[in-house]
Amino acid sequence: MRKQFKDTVMDLSLYDDRTVMIFGDVSVYLFNEFKEKYPNRFYNMGISENTLISVGAGLSAQGFYPFVHTIAPFITERSYEQIKLDMCYNRFGGNVVSCGASFDYAWDGATHHAYTDLAILRLLPGMEVIQPGSTKELDILLRSQYKNGNPTYFRLSDHPHKIDLPTEFGRGVAIRDSGAELTVMTAGPILSNVMKACEGLNLNLVYFHTIKPIDKEVIQRFKDTRILVVHDAFGLHEAVCEVPNLSVSYHGIPDMFCGWYGTLDDIRRKLRLDPESMREVVVRHLEQS
Amino acid sequence: MKSICKDIRRQILHVSKESGHGHIPTCFSIVEILWAVYQVLRHNPNNPLWIERDLFILSKGHGALAHYCILAKLGYFDQDKIKTMGMFESSFGCHADRFKVPGIEASTGSLGHGIGLAVGMALALKIEESDRRVVTLIGDGEANEGSVWEALLVASNLRLPNMTVIYDDNRSHSRGLQIVNPAEKFLAFGCDVTEVDGHDVEALIEANKHRGQRMHAIISHTRKGYGCRTFVENPYEWDRRSPNEIEYRNLLEELDA
Repeated sequence: MRKQFKDTVMDLSLYDDRTVMIFGDVSVYLFNEFKEKYPNRFYNMGISENTLISVGAGLSAQGFYPFVHTIAPFITERSYEQIKLDMCYNRFGGNVVSCGASFDYAWDGATHHAYTDLAILRLLPGMEVIQPGSTKELDILLRSQYKNGNPTYFRLSDHPHKIDLPTEFGRGVAIRDSGAELTVMTAGPILSNVMKACEGLNLNLVYFHTIKPIDKEVIQRFKDTRILVVHDAFGLHEAVCEVPNLSVSYHGIPDMFCGWYGTLDDIRRKLRLDPESMREVVVRHLEQS
Repeated sequence: MKSICKDIRRQILHVSKESGHGHIPTCFSIVEILWAVYQVLRHNPNNPLWIERDLFILSKGHGALAHYCILAKLGYFDQDKIKTMGMFESSFGCHADRFKVPGIEASTGSLGHGIGLAVGMALALKIEESDRRVVTLIGDGEANEGSVWEALLVASNLRLPNMTVIYDDNRSHSRGLQIVNPAEKFLAFGCDVTEVDGHDVEALIEANKHRGQRMHAIISHTRKGYGCRTFVENPYEWDRRSPNEIEYRNLLEELDA
C-alpha cells in the first residue's frame, strides 16, 4: 500500500505543485523518485513526530498540502496534541499518513503496535479518519481528500485486501444484505479474514473504509438486526454506536497490551481474529438469534 | 518609546482590573519585545491578511493580553473591546483565537506548539522563495518542553534564515527546571545568536533587523512584571491575579515612579 501511496502522490504532483512530503525517516527510499523530481518539496525530518505535525500545519497555513508520514503509534499517540491543536483547532489541515498499524510490526512488540489511532483521532473536531483496506481504496480516497483543507488521517497497511468494492469517501458498503438477523460490520484490510469467516453463513456484511464521518445511513439500514463489529482496532465500534438504539457487540482488541511478537497472523490468531476463530465467534452470535 | 510602552502597561493593568484576567507579570516582561517586533515586521493593521505580510506567532500564548494591547495600539481594533477579556462571548480569551482576533496568526496556549508551527511557515516561505519572514516569541519556562528543542533541531537542519526565535528570558524557569546559559544552547542548535536587554526597545529593533545565513535567536533578558515594583518583587503571587481598584491605583503610581 505504501507503493500505491507513492504512485498516487507522484501522479497528483504532476498537476499540483503544492504537495509537500514531511517524512519521519520511513519510506524515504521508496520516495527517491519524488525527492529527485521535487527536491524542495521532500523533507526527511528524522524521528521528530511532534515537529512533523507542527511543520505540516505551518505549511498548510501557507497554502501547501502536506503529507506527514511515519509509523502509526508515534505520529498519532505521541503527537496527538499537535494534531488536535495545530491541525484541528487552528484548522491548518493536512494529510497524516501512517504505516505499521495495527500489528504490521507484530515482531516489534507492544511499543510498535497501534490500535487506538482510529479511536482517538475520530474524537477530534474536523478530523477525517480513513482506513483504506485496498490499494484501490487508498488511491481513490487520497485523490478525493488530500487538498480539501481538513486534517485527514490515512492509515496504510502492509497487508491490504484485494476485494474490489465501490469506493466513495464517507460511504460504507453493504457487501451482503440478505435480510438476516445478524449483521457483521468491519473495516480495513481485515475484510479478507472476515469474508472467509462468514462464507456460507446467513448474515449481512457491511464494510467501511471511512471511520469518520461514519456512514450512518448504511448503519440505519441494519438497525433492526443484531450488529457484530469485528475489527482489529478500536474506533469502528464506537463510530457505529453513534447511531442510537442499536444492539451492538464487538469482537476485536482486548483491554490489555498484546505482549507477543511473531507475525501479523500470529497476533490475529491470539486475538481470535483469524478466519477460523472469527467464524466460531460469528456462529456463536448466529446461534443466539 | 518609553511612554508608549508605559501606556501599553497601563492598558494591560486596566483590562486585567476590569476583566479579572491576564497573566500580568509575563505580559509586562514582553511589552518592549512585542512593540519592537511590530516596528520591523511588515504588516498592515488595515489589512491583517495582507499577502505580503511577515508572520508573528506568540508561542508563549499566555502573554495574549500584552499582544492584544499592542495590536490595539497599532490600530488592528479598538482598545475598548479587550476589556471583555475572558467573558463568555468575548473575542478576547486568555489565550488568543486566530479566528476571533485580527492580527493573530495562530491560536496558541499549550506551550511548545507555536515554534513548530513557525518552522512550518518559514519552510513554506522558503519553498516559495518569498522574502517574507517568520518571528516567534517563546518563554524560558516554555523551553522546558522537549518540542521546543525538537523544532529548533529541525529548523537548523532546514536552514531557515527567514526565521527569528525570540527567547523571553524572564526567569520563569528559575523555580522549576532551569535553563542554564540559553545563548550557548541556541548557538549549539545552529542559530545566529543576539543577546539584548529585553526592555531596551532600540536594541530590540536592531536585533530584529539582523539578516544572516541561519535562523536567528534573540535572547531577550527581561524581568517578570517589569515596570511595577510590586510585580517584580512578587511575580509568582501575581502570576494569575488581577488588581482590585485600590491595588490598581497603587500600581499606576508605581508605573509612573
